[in-house]
Amino acid sequence: MNENRRQILEMLAAGKITADEAERLISAIESEPPAPAGVKPKPKYIRVVVDDNKKGTGTKANIRVPMQLLRSGVKLAALIPLQARDHVNSALHDHGVAFDLSQINPKNLEELIDQLDELTVDVDDKDVKVRVFCE
Amino acid sequence: MIPYSAAIQIRSERSRSTQRWIIPFWLAGILLLPVALLLLPLVLLVCAIARINPFPLLGAFWKIFVALKGTTVDVQDQHHFVSVQIS
Repeated sequence: MNENRRQILEMLAAGKITADEAERLISAIESEPPAPAGVKPKPKYIRVVVDDNKKGTGTKANIRVPMQLLRSGVKLAALIPLQARDHVNSALHDHGVAFDLSQINPKNLEELIDQLDELTVDVDDKDVKVRVFCE
Repeated sequence: MIPYSAAIQIRSERSRSTQRWIIPFWLAGILLLPVALLLLPLVLLVCAIARINPFPLLGAFWKIFVALKGTTVDVQDQHHFVSVQIS
């Protein structure tokens, strides 16, 4: 029994509404359009489509990578040895990227990947078109 | 679900030929098993030197392998078309 119907029956039992009013309310609930079927399904793949329109080349690339592969791949960062991590951090710092690899944790990565479903990148150049999106 | 095969297709416009291979992973696994067994002591040695626990490392690579299912790479230029599909 859904929540609205239960509330109506409780009001009827408590004498707050009459049987006729309860019947009208229940029929009104039943005539309501059904709620949207749950949340949007999560995308399973990230797609990269490259279309080179330059004359004479006609290069095209169509790459589909499962999201699960991203999840598994980024978890490898946690396995980087401490010495190598320090080297990477210092190299990143030297190049102006203030990022610490040890700050990456699985929860952050999950959140990051979950947000990718809204990602769409369109690069439309004179010669090349690149699209990155999730599906 | 682990991936069970890789389909590789190479088409050449010049020679008008298409080559297609379907490689089952169980067969590749059997063929690569001796190499893997030979490399295992080396991997364990490197893990010991780098102070890495080899089990999470192997687990991570296994997860990457499992996650490969559904990967598609198609590349085409003027004369060639190469397609790799893992299913």
